[in-house]
Amino acid sequence: MTASDPATDLLVLPGNWNFDYRYFAGATASRFFAELRDHQRIMGRRCPGCRRLVVPARSYCDDCFEPMGEWEQVGTEGTIDAFTIIATAFPGLPEPPLLIAFVTLDGADSAILNFVQGLDLADYDAASTYLFKHDRVRVVFKDRRAGRITDFHFECLEQ
Amino acid sequence: MTGAIGVVGVGQTPYRRQNPDKSAAELVYDAVRAALHDADIEMDAVGAVIGGVAPDALAGINDIDRMSIARPGRPYLRVNTGGATGASALQAALTWIRAGRADTVLVVALERMGQATTAQAIFNTIFDPIYEKDFVLTTITMAGIRGSMLMKRHGFGERHWARIASRNFTHAVDNPLVVGARVRTPEQVLASPMLAWPIHQYEACPISEGACAVVVSRDGVVGTRSVAWVQGMAGSSDSYSMGERVNRREGSLIEMVPLKRAAAAAYRQAGITDPGTQVDVFELQAPFSIIEAMAYPALGLCDVAESRAFVDRLLDGEVGLEMNPSGGAQAANPVSATALIRIAESALQVRGVAGARQRGEVRRAVATGQGGATQFSSVCVLGRDRP
Repeated sequence: MTASDPATDLLVLPGNWNFDYRYFAGATASRFFAELRDHQRIMGRRCPGCRRLVVPARSYCDDCFEPMGEWEQVGTEGTIDAFTIIATAFPGLPEPPLLIAFVTLDGADSAILNFVQGLDLADYDAASTYLFKHDRVRVVFKDRRAGRITDFHFECLEQ
Repeated sequence: MTGAIGVVGVGQTPYRRQNPDKSAAELVYDAVRAALHDADIEMDAVGAVIGGVAPDALAGINDIDRMSIARPGRPYLRVNTGGATGASALQAALTWIRAGRADTVLVVALERMGQATTAQAIFNTIFDPIYEKDFVLTTITMAGIRGSMLMKRHGFGERHWARIASRNFTHAVDNPLVVGARVRTPEQVLASPMLAWPIHQYEACPISEGACAVVVSRDGVVGTRSVAWVQGMAGSSDSYSMGERVNRREGSLIEMVPLKRAAAAAYRQAGITDPGTQVDVFELQAPFSIIEAMAYPALGLCDVAESRAFVDRLLDGEVGLEMNPSGGAQAANPVSATALIRIAESALQVRGVAGARQRGEVRRAVATGQGGATQFSSVCVLGRDRP
């Protein structure tokens, strides 16, 4: 005999959200990605008010709430401000281990997020200790670029 | 009669990973019934309902508040500031009453994330799809990023995160609403799996569901009810872009600028000049021990530069402050409801009815709300003395 009781069994219905979108990046981000794809340049825009060079480029300054001014290229080397090593797999997300970092590129006043590749991540403590002492990185552009933020990543500089 | 507003009723469901025995509306019903009973009123005394739900995708039902929180015949609006949602909803209720639109407002916050089987993938969708989402940003990684900054700039170590988490888990054992609470030593926390270095599993909040309801009334209708008076409440926001917050004049990514501003404004309203001595209990919306360490200086309990030394003294019992008697967001963090739960728990402390987790005579308690990758912060000061 089955132990189930139709009066008290709790129903759990399957469900799924699977919608397709197209994200409109806008003109400023589109130009940022075109510069990245066509010229291997990482560009920011400078706020005429607070003089910050914000990278990646934005159309207006979130602090001053005024339109951004000139486009300027920043360096392809920079300093890691903050990082984390993704260690556990979660459904629907890329496989670990992965190292991501906010990096302030030379000349920029804000940080840009990307993967840092090439560092041995088998030992998290060893990797993080290394990164605390060696925080300089360089931008490495992909050979085949699609005009996406993933057209480049960072690598640690020998120090 | 004054312009004062008080919390007169609190209702909470238990908080657990999932509640397959209740629909979303039934969870809300339980919390609201309990809150109305605690306030000794019926629904007809409620002049407006304000609902709080953060991302609908966590429940997989768009506008889930329509089926669960909105009441026929009552004005209704919904608030969403991520993890700060519940506190922002209460702030909206205070404004509604001050505007003279209602004497009593029911605030309800619901989290139904147990229905999600891929919660972290859903959290990834709250981040910028143009510049940032590809890099596996989630609530966990955004906290890990701050952890590395705290360790590099202020000398925190893994043991600090583990000790804060251990203390919160220990407190949660006294809170019957945290289902499955158990004591965890710092060693057990450090032995739990690494999620995103430096965050171990037990330094992150668990998946939690539940509903919380709070009834607030203006002075004239409070009557003889047991009340926790709102002595101050403020909220503030920050830039969405984390990269632009990393290095700023007004404070870096780990300085919680909105929390600092909200605390300063709420303290001013409440007449608090020295929170370390004038507040008895803090209930912090800190879903990671890392976030809790960042909150202390923002709340004026220590200087940023000496925050590590403060954490050491606090954990050694050398600071006379009660942190998270409920176990805090570390032990149970129903995302949309968690900031309202902090307020509810603070109200219970001030009213002296917090049961096994009561911390003696509490004249004043501070509850925080924190949401959207530290984009939104709220501070609510509740006290025995009518302002």
